[in-house]
Amino acid sequence: MKIGVFICYCGENIGRTVDCAAVAKATAMLPGVAHSEDYKYMCSDPGQNLIKQAILDKKLDAIVVGSCSPHMHEKTFRKAAAAAGVNPYMVEIVNLREHCSWIHDDIPSATKKAIDLMRIAIEKVKRNDPLTPIRVPVTKRALVIGGGISGIQAALDVANAGYEVVLVEKEPSIGGHMSQLSETFPTLDCSQCILTPRMVEVYQHPKIKLYAYSEVSNVEGFIGNFSVTIRRKARGVRDEVCTGCGLCVQKCPIKKAQNSFEEGMAIRPAMYVPFPQAVPNIPVIDREVCTYYKNGKCQMCKKVCGRDAIDFEQQDTFVTEAIGAIIVATGYKLYTIDKKPENSLIKGYGEYGYGMYKDVVNGLQFERIASASGPTNGEILRPSDKSEPKKIVFIQCVGSRDEAKGFTYCSKICCMYTAKHAMLYKHKVHDGEAYVFYMDIRSGGKMYEEFVRRAIEEDGVKYIRGRVSKIYEDDGKLVVKGEDTIAGMPVTINADMVVLATAMIAQSEAPQLAQMLGVPYDTYGFLQEVHPKLRPVETSTGGIFLAGACHSPRDIPECVAMASAAAAKTMVLFGSDMLEREPVVAKVHADTCAGCFYCQKVCAYSAIERKEIRNRQGELIKTIAYVNEGLCQGCGTCNATCPSKSVELIGFNDEQIFNEILALDEVF
Amino acid sequence: MQELIQAAQAALTSKEAAFIIGYALTPDGKKTRPFIARTPDEAAKLVFNHTCAHNLAVYLTRIAKPKEGKMGIVAKGCDTRAIVALIQENKITRDQVYIIGVNCSGVTADVTLPFGADNLPSKCIMCQVQVPPVSDVLVGTAAPYDKPKDAVTERMQLLEAMNEHERFAFWASEFEKCIKCYACRQTCPMCYCEQCIVDKTVPRWIESSASLRGNFSWNMIRAFHLAGRCIGCGECERACPMDIPLMLLNRKMGMVAMQQFNYRHGVNPEEPTLVGSYNMQDNNEFFK
Repeated sequence: MKIGVFICYCGENIGRTVDCAAVAKATAMLPGVAHSEDYKYMCSDPGQNLIKQAILDKKLDAIVVGSCSPHMHEKTFRKAAAAAGVNPYMVEIVNLREHCSWIHDDIPSATKKAIDLMRIAIEKVKRNDPLTPIRVPVTKRALVIGGGISGIQAALDVANAGYEVVLVEKEPSIGGHMSQLSETFPTLDCSQCILTPRMVEVYQHPKIKLYAYSEVSNVEGFIGNFSVTIRRKARGVRDEVCTGCGLCVQKCPIKKAQNSFEEGMAIRPAMYVPFPQAVPNIPVIDREVCTYYKNGKCQMCKKVCGRDAIDFEQQDTFVTEAIGAIIVATGYKLYTIDKKPENSLIKGYGEYGYGMYKDVVNGLQFERIASASGPTNGEILRPSDKSEPKKIVFIQCVGSRDEAKGFTYCSKICCMYTAKHAMLYKHKVHDGEAYVFYMDIRSGGKMYEEFVRRAIEEDGVKYIRGRVSKIYEDDGKLVVKGEDTIAGMPVTINADMVVLATAMIAQSEAPQLAQMLGVPYDTYGFLQEVHPKLRPVETSTGGIFLAGACHSPRDIPECVAMASAAAAKTMVLFGSDMLEREPVVAKVHADTCAGCFYCQKVCAYSAIERKEIRNRQGELIKTIAYVNEGLCQGCGTCNATCPSKSVELIGFNDEQIFNEILALDEVF
Repeated sequence: MQELIQAAQAALTSKEAAFIIGYALTPDGKKTRPFIARTPDEAAKLVFNHTCAHNLAVYLTRIAKPKEGKMGIVAKGCDTRAIVALIQENKITRDQVYIIGVNCSGVTADVTLPFGADNLPSKCIMCQVQVPPVSDVLVGTAAPYDKPKDAVTERMQLLEAMNEHERFAFWASEFEKCIKCYACRQTCPMCYCEQCIVDKTVPRWIESSASLRGNFSWNMIRAFHLAGRCIGCGECERACPMDIPLMLLNRKMGMVAMQQFNYRHGVNPEEPTLVGSYNMQDNNEFFK
């Protein structure tokens, strides 16, 4: 084998501490090295040409480049080698910059170390095999989990690009939290007015298959080739015949179920659609409250239904879909202030009296109160006595930026929606007084700061910097005790109503879903991207992308932008029929594999399968481990676990590693 | 004895088992040796006594699986742990074995000497399974016997009290004796690899010469491969011609598995193996 060695100065980066010419000279003497040279910038066009020319002139079989990190230029040098006819996997990169010159200052010893590092790689490349990338087919069909604004946007973008989309929503209707909002900052346009056309578009889109009132119950497979099982929860109404006339909802005699869409501030029948613009407009029976499920009586809905669509005995059904890419858009939920803390991170805010005083509400409840379609038809009326509050207090950062009782992070949207709430209040209650207790006002965003200034300057909302220590009821008023830290004085406000800007937190099922998908999540339960700056919508699992608030607290424009980004990543994946991936995968030696399957147990990617070895008569000889190359990420855990060393990592096999160590042995 | 022979003959006659792995007397009639009975007549030679120290489960992965019928095996309580461990590790399934469990009254450490409190292996001194917990048919009676203090436990405490230099010196002096005969591996029911790592030549991870360095690699790698897997039959130590106290290593590993993870291999065939399974409740204190 003829090996070419190329030492890069990286300008001053390597050349300052490593005597590159000496390294080239020393490596030229090593067995197997047919060519060795140094150059100022090996990655430059003339540098690459040096490599190509040497390969052609000296008929090189493999090359070793001493340069920067392979993360930077491995692809560059592989392409250069391939252009000159050398298999790209016969190229080894030695990181002379990060591993040597940048971390040492003594020239002679750094040079010696550089020669050692080169010798190691030369020993490895001698045992490299020419490899070809693995090609796996791509199913051009996307799954979007979650039908809020992020999921809707992602589904529409992918579908409009011409690919099929399966959209799964756990609630009876798509729309998510955005469908509950009154008006949206910073333009104050009506949330439903801009959302519902998108919902209808999803429903009518020929490329989108909508599974509402459904949940993803299992995910198998790998990028381009997922098999997803979806549980369709039983509505009690056969959606294939229901016309959505709503007669059953009108006639349902059980009217007193809690209305979760109205955040518990209204009631609804046992047979219901969450809100009038619901998509799909098919009712659901709430089996917890329906009398039929208690004593078998009533059946009023069945009697009035002209289409015979009611099916009390309907069971959950499971469908399996072939999917190529998954966009997770499962959104967020609100910090639970009143209820028993659901995890150790939540300590609660008992002193604010949420749940005890009816007129202390959270942000989403105020959205419903301010909404024209809400329980008060858009009039600002407090829940307790339906009177107009003349003095209202907004408290920001309830659960956010509070290590003692909530979460360290900033929920990001509360500064803006509190300004919006205060503004909406002032627009509707002209003689009312609005106070906002804040820690900082974080209004970064296009027209955001202007919006907050408008609330303060034009609408006269009074901002007080400080925290509230206690709220208690006295003579029909809510006494808000706080501190004005700018004036350095305690403040007491006798309010009629208090709105808490509670933190956005991860959905409780998020960790469970993340485990099913094999996607990392942080301590809060938010799903984790691969790279916070350069790959913000991709996860470490190939073919799974993130959109919206399941990743971190974010507002509508950011959710929409992220959803479109995830859709774009999906389209990139669907742009080719076959997927190419690095051939660095594990391989099982069938002759020595004893079939203990410890490799299968430790594989984090479920890439190890069982394969039966049979003789010509069809008799089973043994069952051995087998690597699914589509799933294998080349991490090498199986390799380390195998007691008989019957698993090897292609490109990093035992012999290569062993000889790399042996090359070092000469040093000691 | 007749009970054992009858059970074996019944299993062979009914074709439930294709053969019975058991014990038969040596020609001098003083000791026993492993014996495979394939016919009811051969089964008449089966015996069970205090010299039946061997763990026959090792044959379950060495013998060709019969096309029809199960692999019959005579197993003491301690031997059934190896069978369960093999089920846990996917080597056999429960319905591939027909277990003739024998109630055991202890075996001898040195088969040439009479059975008694001064001639008991460590596994019999510590024994809590005189009646096999798993079997298809159970024969014999388990008589109580006097159990002296366990010398191995005392020796382990001595080793634990040493510092790492003293302990290293101790093992260096023991491993120096190793002649790399691999008898430990051959008798071990958990050593079922088709090609042992020590036999791998490209690359050769373990020096095959019987030098101290190679001996260290071999014995330490074997101990690591048995960590959380050794079922404590002590066959390696019994087979070792150089009297290396291998069970000191294996038992220590087993104790760590018990203390750190509350895990004992070869007890429950349904339980995931310690190595290769992750539990959120696992003790993580050793992460520093």
